[in-house]
Amino acid sequence: MSDWNAMSDEDFRREVRTFFENEFPAEYKFLPRRMRWHECRDWYLKLSRKGWIAPNWPREHGGMGLAPTKLLIYYEETERAGVGRMPDQGLTMVGPTLIRFGNDAQRAHFLPKIIAGEAIWCQGYSEPNAGSDLASLRTEAVPDGNDYVINGSKIWTSMAHDATHIYVLARTDKQARKKQEGISFFLVDMKTPGITLRTIRNIAGHEEFCQVFFDNVRTPKENLVGELHKGWTIAKGLLGFERLNIGSPRRPLQAMEKLEMLARARGLMSDPAFVERLTQLQLDLADLGSLYRRFVDKVRRGEALGPDVSMLKVWSMDTYQRLSELLIEAAGEYGAVEGEVAIGNDEIDVLSPFYNSRPGTIYGGSNEIQRNILAKYVLNLPS
Amino acid sequence: MTGQDMEHAALLAQSVGDYVKHGADLPRVRALAQTHAEFDAAQWRQLAELGWLGVLVPESCGGLGLGLSEAAIVAEGLGRALTPEPYTAVAVLAARALEGAAATSLRDGLLGGIAAGTRVPVVAWQEQPDDFGGRQLATVAVPFEGGFRVSGDKRFVMGAAAADGYVVSALAGGELQLLWIPRDAAGCSTASQPLADGRCYGSVSLSDVVVPREQVLASGKAARDALDRAIDHAAAVGSAELVGIMKRAHEMSLEYMKTRVQFGKPIGSFQALQHRAVDLHIQQELADAVLRETVAELDGGPDTSARARAASRAKSRCAEAALAITRAAIQFHGAIGFTEDCDVGLYAKRAMTVSAWLGNGRAHRARYAALEAGSSGRQA
Repeated sequence: MSDWNAMSDEDFRREVRTFFENEFPAEYKFLPRRMRWHECRDWYLKLSRKGWIAPNWPREHGGMGLAPTKLLIYYEETERAGVGRMPDQGLTMVGPTLIRFGNDAQRAHFLPKIIAGEAIWCQGYSEPNAGSDLASLRTEAVPDGNDYVINGSKIWTSMAHDATHIYVLARTDKQARKKQEGISFFLVDMKTPGITLRTIRNIAGHEEFCQVFFDNVRTPKENLVGELHKGWTIAKGLLGFERLNIGSPRRPLQAMEKLEMLARARGLMSDPAFVERLTQLQLDLADLGSLYRRFVDKVRRGEALGPDVSMLKVWSMDTYQRLSELLIEAAGEYGAVEGEVAIGNDEIDVLSPFYNSRPGTIYGGSNEIQRNILAKYVLNLPS
Repeated sequence: MTGQDMEHAALLAQSVGDYVKHGADLPRVRALAQTHAEFDAAQWRQLAELGWLGVLVPESCGGLGLGLSEAAIVAEGLGRALTPEPYTAVAVLAARALEGAAATSLRDGLLGGIAAGTRVPVVAWQEQPDDFGGRQLATVAVPFEGGFRVSGDKRFVMGAAAADGYVVSALAGGELQLLWIPRDAAGCSTASQPLADGRCYGSVSLSDVVVPREQVLASGKAARDALDRAIDHAAAVGSAELVGIMKRAHEMSLEYMKTRVQFGKPIGSFQALQHRAVDLHIQQELADAVLRETVAELDGGPDTSARARAASRAKSRCAEAALAITRAAIQFHGAIGFTEDCDVGLYAKRAMTVSAWLGNGRAHRARYAALEAGSSGRQA
């Protein structure tokens, strides 16, 4: 196995780019939705065999052990090549969580299965009455013999219908002084009796998320991660880098390319009112790039990302949405058409950036919650 | 940057930090509306002694020979302190225009004088609004055996109040000339046009002004290149002034929101205000990020199109962010924010003049659009 971090950034980028461009199945490139497991299984296993499935994990656990700069290149090239998003919670969340907060037995049991594609994970955080106010969650876990018994329900659980396992935040101490202090982090096998799920169709017509119900679901005590009642700290521990990745200008840049293509095909570049709005968005996007690179440089210098990285998520998702909206407007009557339409010599799916950009201001802490975080921790405004 | 350059930059950042710590001389700034005394000789001398006026002046002429990254540090500090002296007009716009001229004793003397604070040249290039590089040029230079006779009207000349002369653009036949015209030259008169922040634009009238051959600074392509580069560089450094202005104004808003109590709570605890403050903070950070990238890019000596695009990107973002933040500062302060006594108004008005000069946000967006249309493909 190569020492990726010893390569120059350019060489590494070239190698990753070549592989993604040549090996990722063409029929799934730039898929306007998340990939289902049966669609991406071969690709997942191909990456796994190559040793590339877990770029963010240390090598001792089967990852590539990429330094932050290389990791960003890896993700940028993923997006550039139009590699679809797989059910990746095991890779992005469970692995890093167990590596940081789990014990040796948990790591030995769970990590190899993720690398091998035998365990597909989903995230049990949100509940019908605990969205932005996640810490008010009411799914509860009660000790009983060698198990915890879980009751409650989780919602907006992406790709749960493809998952073999779910990680769950559950209340273990109802008497805790602060609601954040009585929550624990559990690993649960989806085949456990008492788990049922229903799929939820999203606004784009895709079944990507689910509601998962827990009715006296038993999970062994060794599946508690970290300390009892300390699950909130674990859940919060991994967010910084994720927000940097969400803030990458790559996806809105692809929408911009579509918009420019459409504008040229429809002769809109001679409409000064349109050009003014297009230019504003071009600048918003270019300036997002500047802000993004500033945070990337910080990571490159080995500095930790603070709460100010939230501004990147707010601005990138806001810009992405405004872009997707101008794309629809620029399409005129075509702006109502589902799927690809032929405009000039190009085939353009006018609506997919709209659908893809919509949840970005909601998931992972809505933009309003990000603004609360920035107000409190960056601007130090009183509460 | 060489090690010595980095040392210069660090020292500069430190001296700007010290300067800013003393805060703005706000009584003086407030009085400008009556006094229009935007140029204080002692203050200018201090800026020279600090080495700031010579940041861009070549070392061979007695300056520091540093780049826009360093000039931006100075300008941000001066913006924050609302210093009214024409730093950008003289030490950036004029210095860059002169730097692009042929090395004559006149040119070297002016550059050295900028660094020493003993000469105050400004560039009189503009005649129409939104006219980047002065393409709508009506000033004519009629040749005679000893040089040119120049006639025309220049507007929007920042720093004219204390200028001892002008770098004037004029057409001789089809050829652009950059000429040195002392303020007191026969046929040259300067009128003041008061601005929102108490400073003034100069309007310079030239009527058959005799310019001897040795006062020709640059001609043709050299003149064009020197002027265009100087304007782009000054727009970028003006953006740094705007970043300083917006940062201080937003700080004042945040301080006020933490102390002003209504409905029994500090108003900064209200989510409607918090989210507005956050959105403006994001604009401030975007402006800051774009500015740093832009000055670094310009210091790398890009081609003219990339240079213009970078300068326009910076000025567009910084101008609009500064206006939004300073105007919101008035709103955050409530009725007191609309009084002459409240300092935020001084920041709002300075933001207006610095935004408007050398192209406002809209004008720079339009130029960016034209440059984008002219370039094939976009950068990844």
